[in-house]
Amino acid sequence: MAATRRLHKELEDIKKSGLKSFRDIQVDEQNILTWHGLIVPENAPYNKGAFRIEINFPAEYPFKPPKIAFKTKIYHPNIDEKGQVCLPIISAENWKPATKTDQVIQALVALVNDPEPEHPLRADLAEEYSKDKKKFMKNAEEFTKKNSEKRPSD
Amino acid sequence: MAETVATAVTSSNSASSRNNNESHFHQLNLSVLKATVDPVCITKKPSPYVEILVDGKVVRKTEAVKNTHDPTWSSETFTVLVKINSKCLLRLYSHSTFKRDLILGEGRIDIQKQLVREQGKFDKTNLVLDVKGEIKNASIAASDNGRSSRVKIGEIFIVMDGMRVDPKLLMTGSSRSTTRVNGEAGESSSTTEIRTNGTAVAPVTNSTTGENGGGARPRTRSNDVEAAPIPAVAAAPSRTPNGTPQQTPSRIPNGTAAVAAATPASRTETAPATPAPSAGPAGPEEPLPPGWEVRFDKYNRRYYVDHNTRSTTWERPQPLPAGWEMRRDPRGRVYYVDHNTRSTTWQRPNVERLQHYEQWQGQRAHVVQQCSQRFLFPQGGGVSTGTAVVTGTEESDPLGPLPEGWEKRVEPNGRVYFVNHKNRTTQWEDPRTQGMNQEDPLPPGWEMRITDDGVHYFVDHNTRTTTFQDPRPGATKGPKGAYGVPIAYERSFRWKLSQFRYLCQSNALPSHIKITLNRSTLFEDSHHQIMRLPAYELRRRLYVIFRGEEGLDYGGVAREWFLLLSHEVLNPMYCLFEYANKNNYSLQINPASHVNPDHLHYFKFIGRFIAMALYHGRFIYSAFTLPFYKRMLNKKLTTKDIESVDPEFYNSLLWIKDNNLEECGLELYFSADFEVLGQLTHHELKPGGDNVRVNEENKEEYLRLMTDWRMNRGIEEQTKAFLDGFNEVVPLEWLHYFDERELELMLCGMQEIDIDDWQRNTVYRHYTRNSKQVQWFWQFVRAMDNEKRARLLQFVCGTCKVPVGGFAELMGSNGPQRFCIEKVGKETWLPRSHTCFNRLDLPPYKSYEQLVEKMTFAIEETEGFGQE
Repeated sequence: MAATRRLHKELEDIKKSGLKSFRDIQVDEQNILTWHGLIVPENAPYNKGAFRIEINFPAEYPFKPPKIAFKTKIYHPNIDEKGQVCLPIISAENWKPATKTDQVIQALVALVNDPEPEHPLRADLAEEYSKDKKKFMKNAEEFTKKNSEKRPSD
Repeated sequence: MAETVATAVTSSNSASSRNNNESHFHQLNLSVLKATVDPVCITKKPSPYVEILVDGKVVRKTEAVKNTHDPTWSSETFTVLVKINSKCLLRLYSHSTFKRDLILGEGRIDIQKQLVREQGKFDKTNLVLDVKGEIKNASIAASDNGRSSRVKIGEIFIVMDGMRVDPKLLMTGSSRSTTRVNGEAGESSSTTEIRTNGTAVAPVTNSTTGENGGGARPRTRSNDVEAAPIPAVAAAPSRTPNGTPQQTPSRIPNGTAAVAAATPASRTETAPATPAPSAGPAGPEEPLPPGWEVRFDKYNRRYYVDHNTRSTTWERPQPLPAGWEMRRDPRGRVYYVDHNTRSTTWQRPNVERLQHYEQWQGQRAHVVQQCSQRFLFPQGGGVSTGTAVVTGTEESDPLGPLPEGWEKRVEPNGRVYFVNHKNRTTQWEDPRTQGMNQEDPLPPGWEMRITDDGVHYFVDHNTRTTTFQDPRPGATKGPKGAYGVPIAYERSFRWKLSQFRYLCQSNALPSHIKITLNRSTLFEDSHHQIMRLPAYELRRRLYVIFRGEEGLDYGGVAREWFLLLSHEVLNPMYCLFEYANKNNYSLQINPASHVNPDHLHYFKFIGRFIAMALYHGRFIYSAFTLPFYKRMLNKKLTTKDIESVDPEFYNSLLWIKDNNLEECGLELYFSADFEVLGQLTHHELKPGGDNVRVNEENKEEYLRLMTDWRMNRGIEEQTKAFLDGFNEVVPLEWLHYFDERELELMLCGMQEIDIDDWQRNTVYRHYTRNSKQVQWFWQFVRAMDNEKRARLLQFVCGTCKVPVGGFAELMGSNGPQRFCIEKVGKETWLPRSHTCFNRLDLPPYKSYEQLVEKMTFAIEETEGFGQE
């Protein structure tokens, strides 16, 4: 497959760099186009849990950007109920073939840690976030405790 | 993709405008009379108000009524703009002075369904909407079997008035709208369709279990559809196919190594299946259709086994829509029958495909309306056959052999002519030089034009003078066209067209052919009759008869037939053509067309048909992509051509071209992958390409090979079949006078362009609407004839076709994009265009005359010049 070499290299580099905020990376050798991993945010209210994501690379990678989906439910203005996330770095306008997956993941982690209510996918949560931060934090924390994955112990 | 989702969910209704591009807005008067809130569910008295959303966009709100379970409103009538396939959502909120307003629940109106029920018009139609919402009261939630925490919490009483649509439009649509499927059976018996947020699909009338028996299903859908079945005739299964069977879910052997090539199920799940703006919590997954099973391979990936067809797929199957049935042909191949429309298809229907179909169906009325609205020039004008002169002499034939099928002959009087045995045409001109520029180009700034009397003269834009004298030295030499004019001068579209018409007339055959059709089986009948005849006979005069509507065909019926059939061949159910992308409604060959085993045969048929349209001077409904025309003209496709069909891919190619590869670790090799219907195909761009790394030295070669591959992948055979079919009727060489834009004009005709609408929907950057240059620009547009306007549109927007909804619906490569004029550059520059953004870069010219001169030059010299 045309994208195989690049993806293997990227995967190796990411594993080597030992990111604290993205772990437990699982890719089966037969299908390098799909990655699974665990996002471990540092900022409240998401630091009460961890979130499973799936990264899907198109057959035409790196000519077309990867897609990211949350598999764990998350209470976040920029991530919708289906787990879709709006990340500028992998949008059609901004995508560059040289963009590396670790940059994408770092952008994603940054977005999870610091929501951008100006560009919401869930308008209701963005409004709550901007107008009543306290309530948002409380709701998000409860939601995180209830729905998210366990954080790795180390 | 993430970006589009964002806009759809938040405020813009871009998603809906994209999907409904073909339908018009209608005014609907919606009155909210009263509501009831169940005091058991909502114990505390709310202060209710209703918010109206059309296709996900909030349009209106009522006043809030304080502290009541039974609010009434006396004068809450709103005029909202809806399309036929719009979905309205009425949200019931409780207002709170101190906190955020609380949503109690919502009810949904499917405009189309309601219209069907009301025979196409709302005349003070009363409607009671069930309002469903999530409630906190645990005991009630539990009583709902724990299936969903959304329960009915009240009702909204509304009146709809003042909307009226052609019921014909609905009949086709309605049968579809009920066929949208899915697992949640039994909900549809209520008068309104209420959608709980997560289940994003319309309810079915047939319970899905009814499909078990494979056909012995009760047909209980009658209350919705009285209409005669609309027969989108079905193509394939009725014929004797010649290819190998291939069903929609690509056959992938379970768990073998080949699996690695396919896509995992979850990838396709991320694509939103419905355009409905609802963004509710993800609902429970629907049950699988009968005969399907989930399994996991040894890598723990989920796949689906269809025991009916003994095939597997990564995609989660959707149950068949109501009224659909799976059958097998005598050769054991599976196909699908739609009893709603009495049609069949090879491809397993799903919600998305049905929606495309619905949208396509919705265009019908528009197609017929087009009959009277398209035009070119009056035909036959200016053709005087008597003046024909011999073509240049090629004794030594430096041009090489004639194209296949051609022969050179000499008349008794010594005059040379050419015979094409494939389509039995003759002509004076050498097909090898037809339409080719053989002479030196005119000096820079010069242009050749013809007077109304057909005399050629030359315009010198540098000095703004005109002359009959050819400015080039030795201009008299070189071969001359049939009109005694050097071929290089033959530039004007009108002239080219008359040349083409002359060839058509001189190769016309006597008598006529009869094409007799049923409207209901238009595609099959046409296909049968056109393929039955020897191709050259299709050049006889056409006599088209719709059965049951006997009348004389003096052209009008044929005109309608060309539009209707050209619309029919785009029927998404045939899988033959597809839109270039979600923002470009031009058509291109569908690389997945092979799901239709007879596809090559059909492409040949369509090739014949398109040639007939050109030959007989008729128009077709939809434009093809510009690269497709270029292929018809046997022109080389460039990287730039990718931009209009796949802007994302184009941007990446451009990036690779403009950046140094050594520094960024792209790990590119001379190979590429391509996915069709979940199946990956690997391709080496050159022998051993898998092991040749792309670097700065071989980058150019890589980009060239990649461009070729991108434009041809998966459609080579189909293109060849199309061109073969075309060439059987009309020699492809006859097209060589034209460029791809002119070819589009010939095929689609021009429409009267509404300049007021255009001007109204234009935006400016670094200019204002009052800038001198802007005013001159519009003055210039108004002074042009329609052909020039069409060419100006092509120059800026890439197509001469105005969207059905007018300039307000103009699309760019990233969604809706209005016509834009931007101030760029110096007065000495020529205007430039950015077709993917519908933008014209207009330098600040000093005078009206200067603007006219530069604009004219840029528009006429489109190829390889001025555009970016």
